[in-house]
Amino acid sequence: MAGKTPTTYSPSPRLKSKPAKNDAYDSVRPDGRGFAQCRPAFMRTGAVNSASGSAYAEFGNTKVIVSVFGPRESKKAMMYSDLGRLNCNVSYTTFASPSRAQGSDHKEFSTMLHKALEGAIILETFPKTTVDVFALILESGGGDLPVVISCASLALADAGIMMYDLVVSASLSCLGPNLVIDPINEEESREDGNLMISCMPSRNEVTQLIITGEWSTPKINEAMRLCLDACTKLSTITRTCLKDAASSTQD
Amino acid sequence: MGLPDAAGDLSSEMEVDAFRRLFPLRFHERHLAESIRPDGRPVGGARDTSLALGAVGSSDGSALAKIGSTTMLAAVKMEVMTPLSESPEEGCIAIEFHMPPICSPLVRPGRPADAAPVVAKQLNDTIVSSGMINLKELSLVSGKAAWMAYLDIYCLDADGALFDAALLSAVAALSHLRIPQVSLNDDGRVVVVSEEGEEKIDREPVNKEKRKLNLTNIPFSLTCVLHKGYILADPTAEEESIMGTLVTVALDSSDQLVSLYKPGGPVLAHTSVLKDCVELTKKRTVELQKILAEAISDMDLE
Amino acid sequence: MVGLSAGEKHFIQGGIAQDLRTDGRKRLDFRPISVETGIIPQASGSARVRIGATDVIASVKAELGKPNASQPDKGKVSVHIDCSATAEPAFEGRGGEELSAELSVSLQRCLLGGKSGSGAGINLSSLIIVEGKVCWDLYIDGLVVSSDGNLLDALGAAIKSALSNTGIPKVQVAVGASGDEQPEVDVSDEEFLQFDTSSVPIIVTLTKIGRHYIVDATADEESLMSSAVSISINRRGQICGLTKRGGAGLDPSVILDMISVAKHVSEQLMSKLDSEIAAAEAMEEDS
Repeated sequence: MAGKTPTTYSPSPRLKSKPAKNDAYDSVRPDGRGFAQCRPAFMRTGAVNSASGSAYAEFGNTKVIVSVFGPRESKKAMMYSDLGRLNCNVSYTTFASPSRAQGSDHKEFSTMLHKALEGAIILETFPKTTVDVFALILESGGGDLPVVISCASLALADAGIMMYDLVVSASLSCLGPNLVIDPINEEESREDGNLMISCMPSRNEVTQLIITGEWSTPKINEAMRLCLDACTKLSTITRTCLKDAASSTQD
Repeated sequence: MGLPDAAGDLSSEMEVDAFRRLFPLRFHERHLAESIRPDGRPVGGARDTSLALGAVGSSDGSALAKIGSTTMLAAVKMEVMTPLSESPEEGCIAIEFHMPPICSPLVRPGRPADAAPVVAKQLNDTIVSSGMINLKELSLVSGKAAWMAYLDIYCLDADGALFDAALLSAVAALSHLRIPQVSLNDDGRVVVVSEEGEEKIDREPVNKEKRKLNLTNIPFSLTCVLHKGYILADPTAEEESIMGTLVTVALDSSDQLVSLYKPGGPVLAHTSVLKDCVELTKKRTVELQKILAEAISDMDLE
Repeated sequence: MVGLSAGEKHFIQGGIAQDLRTDGRKRLDFRPISVETGIIPQASGSARVRIGATDVIASVKAELGKPNASQPDKGKVSVHIDCSATAEPAFEGRGGEELSAELSVSLQRCLLGGKSGSGAGINLSSLIIVEGKVCWDLYIDGLVVSSDGNLLDALGAAIKSALSNTGIPKVQVAVGASGDEQPEVDVSDEEFLQFDTSSVPIIVTLTKIGRHYIVDATADEESLMSSAVSISINRRGQICGLTKRGGAGLDPSVILDMISVAKHVSEQLMSKLDSEIAAAEAMEEDS
């Protein structure tokens, strides 16, 4: 413990030399899922007692906790506002990704979470105040942001914040000719393109859409359809989760 | 606490929740007079404690500890370093304690909580001075390579007795730790030997036997709040904020005192009170040892 | 923030509904674009693009660097956007930071394509000099000098112009270096390679106001938007990136419709920008 810490490195083997092109696009995914098959999803509200509302989500290896605080007093410097404010923050634990030193700082995630949620929250219901949405990614297993978004909307519902609908989110990777839904890290690291959609299924509205990589219009059509399908499925899970939580408190 | 007398007059007519918010001290004192706490515990009793090992798959050892609703997640990651020249036979352990904004309404992003550095320092002192880890066990090749164990503890829910929960999760994560099997490659770097053994092993692993740390003298702790002659074990966040005198005692498995921490506060403790705190901690240590042993045996069964 | 009265808002909205905007444009018309290249002599390439009153500068600096261990066969590109405090009162202090970060991420997304590198506007493999040892690092900096809406499109055009103005010095690698040694390289200061910008996409932002979408919105018009979609499209008509901005939700079919409108508009913008860049390059050579 001599004040300064020596430089260290992770002993994990380097990424193996890339697989030959032809078996990069094989028909089986690394975890044995089908192309259109999502990871098993587990969600639960009320993970953090000291928050106004909270939720925990586990999609495969991706584990996320979201706490919602407020509506509470806005920062002093803020001007008067008829509308409520939404403040989002997303952070990673140091052990979330396999290599500690890497320190993946996804600063843009906070703004992206904000953009995905703001269209769903009825800000008029809490004037002059702020709702804080804080997310911590305990373990990163791929598709982190969509999981954070879905989990955050569940936490908002748990906190009793008025929303038009629950926001659910799904992403999809384009690997050569294949479109694979809900990709894991291994797939994301070699993807040709990515499409992420956040939507409010009962209103059939997209609140956030982000596409990277090169896409043709028919492919976008197909990818959006797959993602919206996944979102609809996920929304039944989130709804069931809320209903279960509500009925267990009544008992 | 502006109107202590008014409290007495109003209390009969007031709803319990309103009374609790308006006169928190009076509310708690009324309970203490009946030898019970607002959550139904006896004065010297700790909250339900649970421990789950292996919560984080991306780490080499991890544990989730819950004391009441205070929740701590600890994970150990092993990396390789060149040992310091003054101790070529020893590895290193770096302990960090984080309070992310999700854990409490008092923490905001970009502004670390006041309590975080205090708990971090206490943890570091306790774990290092207890001597539970023999740093020589972290050595790989003398003078060339040794393990650096990064122990990160995240507070997921802050509801009092942070240090106790953090220490419990830390020692549990260290007990769960499985050191990866490694060998030296051509460049003198240390690489992991894959467990499956699919690739032919052309190099002998350097640490075939030392896959687990030998933990001796594991420390456990109990925080108590002192108030008017009462000793409240394992306080909640509410109790900590209302009655400001805290005493934290850490004992190791052979009942040796590892650390004792009383950071000021309005109550000046008699030595006899401190002795009582130590007695309570002794009882608590037995409980915690049992919980840890059960968690480990549960894991071994799986 | 633009403070508009209810009457002004109504006027702008009414105009858009009738396909006649306050400055006389139709919904899918751009303001006049002017391009100036080579304005920063120290940079490897630079350009200034003005769209109406929006004024942005982009510069490209190429430096020798070391490739990332995880991608030994690729160079590195970083995009950084700065919103000058003089451009808009809201950018003073830390006000511009969030917007800067958002613009940087969106531009990075549309220039660099997917993680495997497919669909990238800049071919990262072309930046490599010695695999795993030496590569070019491109630092792309954008500065918003004056802001009157449509910043992302303007920055996209400026970066495209700056890249086509960029000359990368020819590099001679000394033979004989092996193993762990860092090879010696000789950077020529006379011979330059023209940077290939044929696959760099352009960005078209469609802003939805009422039931209609417009391109190249002014700041006044942006303050009325319900949502906006920024789509980057390359010369082959492929989508290279898409970001939805602004809060309100959109029907999926509306998004698909916006994509096809953007594709159509991008063809005009692409040829307009090409001729402007060519003219600017000619100007620079004459002077």
